[in-house]
Amino acid sequence: MPKSVVDAHRLIGPVPFDDLPADPRPEMDRLGIDRACVTHTLSLYSDPREGNDALLRLDDPRLVPVPVVVPGVPGASAPSTPAEVLDWGVPMVRLCPERHRFDLTGPVALRWLAELDLPVAIDLDETSPARLRTLAERLPGLRILLLNPGYRRLRALAELMAEAPRVWVEIGTVNTQRGVEWLAERFGAGRLVFGTGAPVADDCGPRFLLDHLDLTPAEIELIAAGSLGRLL
Amino acid sequence: MTRRLPQAPVLDAHGHIGTWPDFLIPDPSAEGLVATMDRVGVTAMGVSHLLAVGPDAGRGNRLAMETAARFPGRFGVWQVYNPHHRTPLVSDGVWGVKLHPDVHQCPLDDPRYEPVWRLGLPVLAHGQTDSPWSDPARFAAVAARHPDVPLLMGHTGLWPYGFDRAARLAAGHPNLHLEVCGSRMTGRWIARLAATIGAERVLFGSDACFLDLRTGYGRVALAPLTEADRALIQGGNLARLLGPRLLGPRLHGPRLHGPRLLGPASESPRP
Repeated sequence: MPKSVVDAHRLIGPVPFDDLPADPRPEMDRLGIDRACVTHTLSLYSDPREGNDALLRLDDPRLVPVPVVVPGVPGASAPSTPAEVLDWGVPMVRLCPERHRFDLTGPVALRWLAELDLPVAIDLDETSPARLRTLAERLPGLRILLLNPGYRRLRALAELMAEAPRVWVEIGTVNTQRGVEWLAERFGAGRLVFGTGAPVADDCGPRFLLDHLDLTPAEIELIAAGSLGRLL
Repeated sequence: MTRRLPQAPVLDAHGHIGTWPDFLIPDPSAEGLVATMDRVGVTAMGVSHLLAVGPDAGRGNRLAMETAARFPGRFGVWQVYNPHHRTPLVSDGVWGVKLHPDVHQCPLDDPRYEPVWRLGLPVLAHGQTDSPWSDPARFAAVAARHPDVPLLMGHTGLWPYGFDRAARLAAGHPNLHLEVCGSRMTGRWIARLAATIGAERVLFGSDACFLDLRTGYGRVALAPLTEADRALIQGGNLARLLGPRLLGPRLHGPRLHGPRLLGPASESPRP
């Protein structure tokens, strides 16, 4: 049983397609999750600026804000400049290149990310392993947390992790039999991060999985919180 | 706090052994499944072999039977029926029949499945909202046509946007049950399904080894349910539904009192 559990991928706020809890804290309490990296749903399903404002108004040490950044030319970005992002003082930002229709490896995004020098969280459904590999080649110091990798692209995921040593992977959807152990054996538990994507995705199964991994206690501690701590 | 072992038998209604071409399954073995079942306290699992779901139902079914024989009491067999190959079916020593309308490209309410319904055994079928082969409405149609056949809607239709509709379609058919495995299922949704249709109509399935047994069982083990409802969903309902068929030739009643008494202890394929 890990001493500390941090969910690297949670949402706060309402979603338009379901009636889900807007506040993650009651479920975190129920499932024994101490802290969570949270993104506001308004940033995903409405206006990134409005969602980020709401997120940055949260004042709870259990909730680590992960605002959404939209790199772009003047007038097309959110916020207006990379300097504004740095003023937020957050440990990680989230990018949604598909949802917000920008080129993850285009010159503007690369300039923004180089200037920010912050870890970025990206859902695999928002990009591709090939695009992430290009990103890692262009910005070899960039730390990338890959959210929602799923279970059907384990081969491509492994190739990405082998080629890009600064890619970390959220385990919540690595959901085929012993998939987490398979990745841990090849890349080490230090590259794996507990995260759920709740409440849209499930948190009960991944939380149970964390307690029943066939790994050493030290490896489980890394996945539960230590790897994310190093990433951030 | 999540390491609570169940007191009553935990029965997994939806499992597989073997490999599948779409993606890598790191551990497709029966041995691995049994080790994981012991780790989390799952008593027995109903399995179909993925070869049987795929191109060779006859050989896959034989492999499933051999596996069940190697691990007495741990696996029940869902024999796969391929409507194109008219797979021979048996009535004894199995939990029932597995259908995969999407892989076999034959709608669930197609007359080519008549031999299955005539057999009268429990049927587990892949269910997928908006699929031309296995939409929940086809389950409701078949359940109405064959009210004496227990029918399990695999994945409750798979996609979250269809879960509520699946429960409403099933509500009027007492022989139609919702099986909850799938990568899009949540503990929250399992509780909502139980509230909508009644916990006695909801069955735990994991889809292991296609999916990870621990994640699948964890959704039920940690879902916001009463303990009485959880007991029904994670084993009580399937035991009631299978009756003596659950025990099989190698199991005896007293061994089913709890998972520890049995030993040391898909989303099914989408086309």
